[in-house]
Amino acid sequence: MNKMMLVLAVLFFVSLSFAQKEVPMPKDLPPYGTEKPLRAPSVKTAKLDNGLAVWLVSEPGFPKVAFTVAVRGGFAADPADRPGISELLSKTIDQGTKARTAKQIAQELQASGGDLSAGSDKDFIEVSTAVLASRLDAGIAVLSDVVQNASFPDAEVALAKRNLADSLRQRESEPSFLAARAMAKVLFGDHPYHVTSPSQECVAAANATDLRRIFMQRFRPDQAILVAVGDFDDAKMMEVVKAKFAAWKAPDESALPGLKRPSNAPEHAVYVVTRPGSVQTTLELGTFGPLRGDPDYEAAMVANAIYGGTFSSRLTGNIREDKGYTYSPYSRLRVYQVAGVLVTHADVRNEVTAPTLNEINYELNRLATTAPSDEELSKAKHYLVGRDAIQLQARAALSNQLAGLWVDGLPPEEIGIHGQKIANASVSEVQTAAKRYFPAFQTAIVAVGEEKVVREAMAPFGIPVKTLQ
Amino acid sequence: MNGFHPKLCRLLLLAAALTTQVSAQQWKAPTTMKKLANGLVVVVSEDHSAPTFGLCVSYGIGFRLEPEGRTGFAHLFEHMMFEGTPNAPKGVLMRAIEGGGGNLNGDTRYDYTEYIETAPVSALDPVLWIEADRMKTLDFSTKNLENQRNVVEEEVRVNVLNRPYGLFFAIDLPGKAFDTYPNAHNFYGEFKDLDSAKIADVQKFYEQYYAPNNAVLAIVGDVQPADIFAKVEKYFSAIPVREIPPRPNVEEPPQKSERRATESDKLAKVPALAVGYRMPPRHSPDALAAAVTGELLHNGQASRLYQALVKEKQVALSVDGGLNWPLGTPYEYNGPTLMTSFIVYPANVSEDQLLTAYDSTIAELVGKGPSQQDLDRIVAKMRSDWYDQLEVPINRASALSHAVLFDGTFDAVYQIPDELAKVTPAEIQAFAAKYLVSSNRTIMDRVPAQTGAAPEKKQGAGQ
Repeated sequence: MNKMMLVLAVLFFVSLSFAQKEVPMPKDLPPYGTEKPLRAPSVKTAKLDNGLAVWLVSEPGFPKVAFTVAVRGGFAADPADRPGISELLSKTIDQGTKARTAKQIAQELQASGGDLSAGSDKDFIEVSTAVLASRLDAGIAVLSDVVQNASFPDAEVALAKRNLADSLRQRESEPSFLAARAMAKVLFGDHPYHVTSPSQECVAAANATDLRRIFMQRFRPDQAILVAVGDFDDAKMMEVVKAKFAAWKAPDESALPGLKRPSNAPEHAVYVVTRPGSVQTTLELGTFGPLRGDPDYEAAMVANAIYGGTFSSRLTGNIREDKGYTYSPYSRLRVYQVAGVLVTHADVRNEVTAPTLNEINYELNRLATTAPSDEELSKAKHYLVGRDAIQLQARAALSNQLAGLWVDGLPPEEIGIHGQKIANASVSEVQTAAKRYFPAFQTAIVAVGEEKVVREAMAPFGIPVKTLQ
Repeated sequence: MNGFHPKLCRLLLLAAALTTQVSAQQWKAPTTMKKLANGLVVVVSEDHSAPTFGLCVSYGIGFRLEPEGRTGFAHLFEHMMFEGTPNAPKGVLMRAIEGGGGNLNGDTRYDYTEYIETAPVSALDPVLWIEADRMKTLDFSTKNLENQRNVVEEEVRVNVLNRPYGLFFAIDLPGKAFDTYPNAHNFYGEFKDLDSAKIADVQKFYEQYYAPNNAVLAIVGDVQPADIFAKVEKYFSAIPVREIPPRPNVEEPPQKSERRATESDKLAKVPALAVGYRMPPRHSPDALAAAVTGELLHNGQASRLYQALVKEKQVALSVDGGLNWPLGTPYEYNGPTLMTSFIVYPANVSEDQLLTAYDSTIAELVGKGPSQQDLDRIVAKMRSDWYDQLEVPINRASALSHAVLFDGTFDAVYQIPDELAKVTPAEIQAFAAKYLVSSNRTIMDRVPAQTGAAPEKKQGAGQ
């Protein structure tokens, strides 16, 4: 770690001595101080006889403990006739076990200072809670019961179905939800990754039997991890974990098969999602990016930070701070197990839809065709390494971050390794990644808004405009 | 609300509760405070668990005191604080902070406006220099004002005008529940007011309120108090004291009867109801009972309203709310506020059905009070939530600076837990009987516009 910080410090001082085209830094702005190494969390890893991975981070001194249980298999593992049922499963997993009613689960957790939160992503389902350290036994008792013995009572499932149907109708009125759903369809086509939420048909057809079956398939110790972060003693925690989880048995059937990396490149076209009454157009430009383990992953992250991943990025500087087209534009590099996705997002008033797309295209192509300045490169690297250090401050966030690494098949040491790779990314590597992933012609464009507004705005770009249903 | 990253856009961050639990020993971080000759108060709390720090500068100005005819100005002004100074032109601030590995944001609320950063400790000096620099003067640029006016109007569109429900529970509900401008006006701003804001307004507002003697700087992290006090002296001590306008009376004339309104929403697909009860002042003996009652009714799946409305009677889809919700914790307000319930309900349930169920939940609390067990449970949850608020340096800095801004001391941050532990079931019951009455509340129903003959949404929400 020391070595990495040394590299960063050198980079920084290099950048200070070469003033860029940007306004020079004020002469009396004090220099940065000596960098302290990021303290990567000390993670104790173990595996129970039943295959359950256990990662423990003992951080005494603050009276809370965060727990995460993650299992492999999320939206992408949902049966073809039940797309999105993972969400119904995560909404009902805490609605009863053999030993506890939904109300008892909620009240027992509240008494230990926690809430249960369960959510599904493409590759996994995660159940987590954070409780008072003084009541961690009660907290882990409820969590372990839920992930091993959820019973999906018929009445609770019926109620959850009704509420989820209404909640989906509600979400369908939100432009960001519509944009994300459309982008997944456009990018992934028939690949299981196209699912971002349940369909109304799935919610109507799903029943408690489906949920119990899927729960048995996915919630099995040999496909699961338990992470705990907080104020406890490792040895004692390990005893508690064994007492609560050792009896968990994997079923005989084999685990879910793996997925293939999607190979189709999206068509460079505009996909319109009609939303009558919109006073803004929600624009998303999406394309494929690297996977977490790819050799150019870190270089692409640096490229993204320069382009649109920070407040001082080119994208924000252009369409917010210079043009005032939008409030909170961003670009994000998201990674799933078998796909990386690079998405640019901006909500803009109707009348600047076309000029905004023009500027986004310009910034994508500028990044793909010209080298970043030394200051931009240094700033992006420092930002990303600093963000890693800042993310370690919160126990619940660290617990989820570690579970995410496990889902992607990576060890806990990845947190430190990632920072080293960021620090080592050279300007030519960043440029190569930019040229590979950022050209505007590779993007699919989703536009949520008034159809007439969007179609008129897109006409000058000369690319196909299609309306999505 | 200068939110680059949606995760950092904290306007809608649900209120986390400050509180404690009956018996356990309290957690407390070493914290010290000092006042500079120019009135700037500095609070330092050590946390050596990571080589980082969080910083918050809170100014004693928020929506409540923004001038009439200038709704939304405190927030528009907040944006101008990121637009550069004569020493550090536009762009320098973000480049210096992000280039040091940090990130930054700002929030405007009724009673404060805060500027927050978190970064590796190596960036401490530049960050302090930047905060001092924008406490001295700003680049009062018409071009930047025009730019940020556009940005803020896009913010209003994305959070209010283009979004179902349009924050009616946070903007329209207080507008109906309160009678005087400071508490009732649209804090995000009417566009006509945002459009007429001039650079002279920016200059005047800055001179009136952005003085060291109207600010509290809190730093939490891998730092030493003596070192911080020396640095702050170095960067901030030359900034002169300025006269702050006397605080006007913002009290409300008493509410005499229940208020009702219905709004039409052209984006929502299912109806929603908001209920707001006027609350006692923060220093009233009833304030702690108000905080606990708000959480007892609204905090999570174990809460009374969730159990009654969503689970038992099945007349609601979701329940949110609490004291001073959603624009702060139940402790961080310094003027009239509400206990708000925001309930989304199915289209086949009537407003009357929902309200009948709601009222019987309130009546049960008034009639029987909570059991000691109910109370212990919610107090444990509130203590746990409060620790969450204090865990991360940037959030602890924020909580410390608000406390000092309001009361001149940060003691409450660590003491409120003990105080809350003393709240009894009888106090909750008495509080509910006194405040949770229909003559003290405002009810606002927001219903999806009929398709076809869509009537325009009420304009209270931001236009």
